[in-house]
Amino acid sequence: MRWASLAVAAALLLYPWLVAGTDSAAFLQDMGALVLLAAIGASAWNIIGGYAGQISVGHAMFFGVGAYLPLIVYTQWQLPPLAGVPLGIAVSLVLALVVGVPTFRLVGHYFSMATIAVAELVRIVMGNWDFVGAAIGIMGPATPRGWWDLIFRSAVPYYYIFLVVLAVLLAVTWQMQRSRLGYYLRALRAGERAARSLGVPVRRYKLYALMLSATFTSLAGSLYALKTGFIDPDSGFGILVSVQMIITAALGGAGTLFGPLIGAVILVPLQTATNTWFGGGGSGLTYIIYGGIIVLIARFEPGGLVELWHRLAALRLQRRGAKRHAA
Amino acid sequence: MVLLQIIAGGLLLGAVYALFSSGLTLIWGMMNFINFAHGEFVMLGMYVALLVLTWIGGGPGVFGLAAALGLFILGAAIYFLLIRQVMRGPMLAQILSTFGLALLLRYAAFWMFSPNFVTLPPTVLSGTVNLHGILLGVPQLVAGLVAGLLALAMHLLLTRTAIGSQLLAVAEDRHAAMLMGIRPDRMQALAWGLSAASAGIAGALMALSYPFSPSVGETFALTAFVVVTMGGFGSVPGAMLAGLIVGLIQALSAYYFGPIYKDVIVYALFVALLWFRPQGLLGTA
Amino acid sequence: MLLEAQNVVKAFGSFKAVAGADLAVAEGEIVGLIGPNGAGKSTFFNCIAGDLRPTGGRILFDGSDVTDAPPEKHARLGIGRTFQVPATFEDMTILENVMVGAFLRHPGRGEARDRALHVVEMTGLKEQAHLRARSLGTPGRKRLEIARVLASRPRLMLLDEALAGLTPAEIQRAMDLVREIHGLGITLVIVEHIMEVILTLARRVLVFNQGHIIASGSPRDVVNDPAVIEAYLGRGHGRKAQ
Repeated sequence: MRWASLAVAAALLLYPWLVAGTDSAAFLQDMGALVLLAAIGASAWNIIGGYAGQISVGHAMFFGVGAYLPLIVYTQWQLPPLAGVPLGIAVSLVLALVVGVPTFRLVGHYFSMATIAVAELVRIVMGNWDFVGAAIGIMGPATPRGWWDLIFRSAVPYYYIFLVVLAVLLAVTWQMQRSRLGYYLRALRAGERAARSLGVPVRRYKLYALMLSATFTSLAGSLYALKTGFIDPDSGFGILVSVQMIITAALGGAGTLFGPLIGAVILVPLQTATNTWFGGGGSGLTYIIYGGIIVLIARFEPGGLVELWHRLAALRLQRRGAKRHAA
Repeated sequence: MVLLQIIAGGLLLGAVYALFSSGLTLIWGMMNFINFAHGEFVMLGMYVALLVLTWIGGGPGVFGLAAALGLFILGAAIYFLLIRQVMRGPMLAQILSTFGLALLLRYAAFWMFSPNFVTLPPTVLSGTVNLHGILLGVPQLVAGLVAGLLALAMHLLLTRTAIGSQLLAVAEDRHAAMLMGIRPDRMQALAWGLSAASAGIAGALMALSYPFSPSVGETFALTAFVVVTMGGFGSVPGAMLAGLIVGLIQALSAYYFGPIYKDVIVYALFVALLWFRPQGLLGTA
Repeated sequence: MLLEAQNVVKAFGSFKAVAGADLAVAEGEIVGLIGPNGAGKSTFFNCIAGDLRPTGGRILFDGSDVTDAPPEKHARLGIGRTFQVPATFEDMTILENVMVGAFLRHPGRGEARDRALHVVEMTGLKEQAHLRARSLGTPGRKRLEIARVLASRPRLMLLDEALAGLTPAEIQRAMDLVREIHGLGITLVIVEHIMEVILTLARRVLVFNQGHIIASGSPRDVVNDPAVIEAYLGRGHGRKAQ
């Protein structure tokens, strides 16, 4: 296990360099950055959806806010987009409270319904608000005025920025997992009634998880805007943004540390492939497949690939034990 | 006079909302389960209507019935193939199951039909009527009245018939119902069939008056969420009343603030409900 | 008085599950709650635990009014409870389950873990500490629930049919554990159907029937009370016993 982890870490660190010699170096490096970005978004969702078990299906609201604010401060006040990042987080936290405070005291699917409703609401408002470019959206700086604009020609600097952010997020998640917050979240996910009887302040802890999740999701949106240099209501707040986060986390394993990264490594190249093979109509087929994958995960293996792997490993151990008995 | 027309139109559409929302709240009350694909059921009802009308012809009765039947079978099938199993699983599985299904149905529809908005070929129901100076489109009038009657019928089915009380018994206490000899599985499948059928017919009725595309499912789902929350957990009468109110609010918002706001105001209302009156109009705190 | 319930009423619509029940438990007591099925004892129990909000009456714990307080508050003040149908955290290990309880008084991970290990050892779950809770049978789960609550250092423990469904040997082990817990100074209120347990463990017994407490006293007195016999066996039997 030690060797495998080191190998993976090395691969992540050296990936841009490893593919630099190939014919499609730029393309592969770009895809690498996109994989990391998807992993960040999914890992952020994972905190509330995986660990706390509160399924947000409108997480795009945080992503979109995080993407818009940097570009707004640039287009309106010519500030470096980076300055908009903390603003994005602040607004996202407000949205988190608007959604979480009323719904976390209710039993049932209210939270999930509220997340879709608010994400849609924000999307429609942004699409009709001229200040933020309405349906057309807004763009970032075309050429950098300095390093702080974070505009790079190559995907490689973005790759490393995203890698650092992902590492920080995973470290925070790991620390949370081991702490009282982590245990309380897992407890309330496993059984709210029992958790409350043990003193777990369920509502407050759900809010903590949501706010932590919203912060990093907003950050993911900001990184997206910095890299792409453009945002519009659909690419920021569309349902497909939320879907991407959910399926990436769930496929790898919601509630596990590396599940979202595993999901990203599989899905981003897959999506690129189906989009290329099936051309224009491809994006439609991609989402049929996504829908199918999500249903299959829900029906057969809600724990995702990580859980599947554990189950197969346990089976193999059983079989080995049985063979030893038979021998 | 224009105002009365707006109000009438809003109530008629609201009656259709009441119909498909009743289906959603039936499942919600029975299994504590929100079907995130309910909007897609409505959308599919519209396309069934289109297909039947295009290939087989006949009148609104025919394609309405086809939508009801087709969606009933789909709903029951989904229960047996998917829902029954995920109900035993974690919350993640339950929510993702219908969310994924919604995605699947929506994009399958995009793929099979075009993403463009389409309308039904003209039927016998066309033109306008003049009720004391209020002009109402015949399709909207028929749709609203039929939907209202069907919603009422559903309520009566649940409260006045033997099978209805069996459904409610399972909703109340699954275990106790089993002890009484009721088969919860069958009842839940029936509920899913009824729920989907209500969505299907509602879709077929709306298709008479409005253009549609595979994208409309998302909006209907959200509308249904607002209506069932306003109506109160599991309450069909509540959903009926709330449906009318939401239809009315939508029509008035569109008139006073512009068509963009018709959905925004409903979603904002939803958030306000969650904050200040989550039990809905008829529920207890 | 550590726990006081004053004229507690719990109504569901027009049906009164608990129709005015009083209870006073002094620190260090073991009190038993018995009664036929549907008598209202579980409902009353859940009111004391904070799971249900009484429609009327008051519940006081160590002087604080907890009538309308949520379960988390009850736990923080020192009321712990187990569930009739075990509600363990299935996918967490036994140690992790107990740690959730420990975290209430020990916010730090290291301390919580130490406390949990201590309780796991004390309750005889050390061997299975790293297995998932779902791998336990019902007796194991009940034991785990007790360990989990114990880790949260309650002053009062409410045990809801914690010994139901156990074999005679397991019942003996469980009773030893209950005695051990009592020995730590924890006050106990026990709902039970198994007469042997009530008679042996409880110093004082209250009998529930149709939402009321119909008898209260030492186990021996209660068992011979005609009203109690009538409640369990029906009309006529009470008079026969006289």
